[in-house]
Amino acid sequence: MMMATPGTLCRHCLLPVGRRGFTRMVNGEGCQFCCYGCCIAHQVKSGSGDASEAAWFLVRLGVGSFLSMNIMLFSLLVYSGAFAGADRRVLPTIHLLLWALATPAVLILGEPFLRETWSQARRGRLTSSALIVLGSLAAYAYSTLAVFHGGGHLYFDTASMVLMLFTLGRYLEAAGRARASRDLAPLLAAESELATVVEGARERRRPVREVRVGMLIRVKPGERIPVDGLIVEGRSHTDEAVITGESRHVAKEVGAAVLAGSINLDGPLLIRSSGSGGESRWAQICRSVRDALQQSSRTQRIADRVVGVFVPIVLALAAMTLLYWVQRLPLDQAMLTALSVLVVACPCAVGLAAPMAHSLGIGQLARHGCLVRSPGALEALACARLIAFDKTGTLTLGRPKLVDLASDGVEEEEVLARLAGLERHSEHGLAQAIAMAAIERGLDPIAAENVQVVPGRGLRGVVLGESVAAGNAALMCELGWQLPPVLSARAEEMASTGHSVVFVGWSENARVGRARAVLSFDDTPLPEAAGTIDALRCLGLRVTLLSGDHAGAAARVAATVGVDEWQAGLLPEAKRVALDRYRARHGAIAMVGDGLNDGPGLASADVGIAVGSATDLARETADLVLPADGLWLLPWVVGRARAVRSTILTNLAWAFGYNLIALTCAVLGLLQPILAAAVMAGSSLLVVLNSLRLERLPGPSYPSAVQQPTAAAQAACEPPPRQQGQRRELALLKAEW
Amino acid sequence: MTYYALLFLAGFAGSFHCIGMCGGFACALGPDPRGAGATSVRHILYNTGRLTSYCFLGALAGGLGQVICTSLGLRRDLGTSFLSVSLDAGQRALAVLAGLLMIIMALSFFGLRGWRRVTGSFGSSTLVNSLRSLLRTPGHAAPLAFGVLNGFLPCPLVYAMVAQAASTVDVLSGCLTMVVFGLGTFPAMLAMGGLGRLLAPRWRQRGVRLAGGFILALGLITLGRGVLPMAGGHGMHHLWHIA
Repeated sequence: MMMATPGTLCRHCLLPVGRRGFTRMVNGEGCQFCCYGCCIAHQVKSGSGDASEAAWFLVRLGVGSFLSMNIMLFSLLVYSGAFAGADRRVLPTIHLLLWALATPAVLILGEPFLRETWSQARRGRLTSSALIVLGSLAAYAYSTLAVFHGGGHLYFDTASMVLMLFTLGRYLEAAGRARASRDLAPLLAAESELATVVEGARERRRPVREVRVGMLIRVKPGERIPVDGLIVEGRSHTDEAVITGESRHVAKEVGAAVLAGSINLDGPLLIRSSGSGGESRWAQICRSVRDALQQSSRTQRIADRVVGVFVPIVLALAAMTLLYWVQRLPLDQAMLTALSVLVVACPCAVGLAAPMAHSLGIGQLARHGCLVRSPGALEALACARLIAFDKTGTLTLGRPKLVDLASDGVEEEEVLARLAGLERHSEHGLAQAIAMAAIERGLDPIAAENVQVVPGRGLRGVVLGESVAAGNAALMCELGWQLPPVLSARAEEMASTGHSVVFVGWSENARVGRARAVLSFDDTPLPEAAGTIDALRCLGLRVTLLSGDHAGAAARVAATVGVDEWQAGLLPEAKRVALDRYRARHGAIAMVGDGLNDGPGLASADVGIAVGSATDLARETADLVLPADGLWLLPWVVGRARAVRSTILTNLAWAFGYNLIALTCAVLGLLQPILAAAVMAGSSLLVVLNSLRLERLPGPSYPSAVQQPTAAAQAACEPPPRQQGQRRELALLKAEW
Repeated sequence: MTYYALLFLAGFAGSFHCIGMCGGFACALGPDPRGAGATSVRHILYNTGRLTSYCFLGALAGGLGQVICTSLGLRRDLGTSFLSVSLDAGQRALAVLAGLLMIIMALSFFGLRGWRRVTGSFGSSTLVNSLRSLLRTPGHAAPLAFGVLNGFLPCPLVYAMVAQAASTVDVLSGCLTMVVFGLGTFPAMLAMGGLGRLLAPRWRQRGVRLAGGFILALGLITLGRGVLPMAGGHGMHHLWHIA
């Protein structure tokens, strides 16, 4: 048994292997396990082919149980007085029989615990196995002495049943934990997954990370599509829940793009890969889930530290119990009491309380395309009392439309042509709106040079040799350009109805320019925004809007989606300050943005949530990433995070409370060792079962209160189809005006 | 003796139910390539393992009943127990509980639904999956281990008997109850190992009904011990200890 490298995940239950972890060969392959139970359970599960080793564990458990049950049977008969009176003379024979049964039982069942204790002890660590080994060996040694030197009670039943109950408990616990990892398994297997690559007439299975652009990949029905690509041959339906959060069947034909990670449902497909296998969003999600699982939250770290000091304390406590009782009771009674102390205080449940709930939570979120950076983020979200939203691209479509243009002494066409040329160099959402407007009017953009972005203000550049600027009033001010009263009055009017306003100006004959036109844009709120905000409020969260836009636009969106509190005109830095102020007043806060322009805001919130993030997840700073168009998932995510946290708290309360009460009972001599072992083994099983309750919570459902009269019925059960690719691109286009 | 005969018959008839579930295992365990002798040893070991589990459950249940009654201070001195006029309240309560449980399970054998969902839970699927790998393992330890684990598979028949064992309020009687029941299942299970599926499903269905009938009878008797006035209880109690 070798030590596992820390920071890896258990092969069976996919929890971090931690300090108890070890490596063992299974089917000729080195696998890492977090505990003995997982090792057995994994072998049992994977041992479908050459099952000799897997079965060996079960044989051991079965034969061990056979022996210990017989021991228990005879011991029960002895205790119940079946051999009292006339049959008393058979007792020595029965005792010898018990010894003969107990010796192999202790050897068979105790060996793995002994091995674990030994390998850890050589590293100077004491684990809970040491407690079990010490307890059962003491009972066995005492009873053996009693058999051969006469006198005293026998505790063979204690020795073997303690071992059997712990073996069984660990096995069942591991089986339960494997259920928790069901959601995670495909995510973690992604890196080692194979793709069927078609090379001429041959087909070869190659690891996904070796797939390059342009390779042909065959995907059978029911398989996961390994790489992003275009369909060359075949038609099918795919389920892209892992990427978009919606479990929906999407029809795909030749020429359609398919996403890595989606499931090919019903037809064979031939795909030409459009990117290398390791770079798809799916591969990135998988990597980041793996990273998240390897981190531990604050709760977990505290629990681990407690477990670390628990074992020595329990050993000391057992020694003191023995010393105390040996003065008042016969040696065997005192020993039994000390044994109960050893057995009852196994801290397994404490160590298990958080990681299992975390991995369940992370797995379920990942299955709906929601990415959690670290388990701590889930706990922080559960604690959050206030959620701050960014406006553009988060609560709104992020795709503004030009609705009005007022000019002062120039033609509208000229304004648009110059502006369109300038805005070609911008990635802002408004740039797209301007380009669209220019195309609608059949205008050719005039080429612009030396274009610069003025952060938080706008753009400037040179068109036809004249300097041109487009942006807010502050930009015009900074340039020292005059703002004609006609325009500023119009602008005020536009802004008061909540539209985004852009001034355009240029110089004439290289003199100081002036504003020549004002344009107003409208950005419609997302259809699901109101329902989402409402649901969040139902969860007891305060909702606020922090917008970089001006007050009118913020107020209009706030009113439409139902947010009462809003702040407008905030530069990124000001958003951070606003968040700090909220934190002082309301405690933990979450910030929701589009993940591109709210970097500082997302980073300074307790939980930064990005909706529809950048293509490169590795550069993503948000703690939690929702899929593009995934705002509607937010209430569900919050509910999930709270469920995870409350599960962890109940687990910890149970584990600590149980240990405290049981330990007290044991020290006072009120607990039989076998009973102690049974309840102890049951205790960690209870933690597993309590965590598994998380599985039963419902999945996300699209808010029914969506203001979409045409698609109301459809919206009730699934999100209306929107042009996701387009919107994601547009979200990318947003710059910091 | 009548009581134990009834148990044996319940076990025997019940093994038609076993053929449906555990019989599959016995078949899968199959013959040993080393000949008929080895095959017999293999199947006897398997059934011994099963019986051990049953005994253990029975003794545990009996012991539990004993502990409950003792801790309630309701159990009298051993010498006078079966001569005394009435049964004590603890035993009565246990008998009523066990009898009701058995009747419910007997009804499930007649096709009434509801119980199956309780038995086919998380534990059983895990256990069944685990057991599969044992079937192909050579050696004599594997069939024994397989039998032991098989004994713990959720089974309404076993539950009914364990309830019965608990109501005996004695370790030895509880153990004996399960031994007799287990021995009752031996003929059919051993035959399954050697002969494969001999019986047509129609006959198995009848056997299951028959087992239901026996369990129902046992349940009613147990219930009777609990609720009938002292005369009936007295009679049964006599029968009990004579057996």
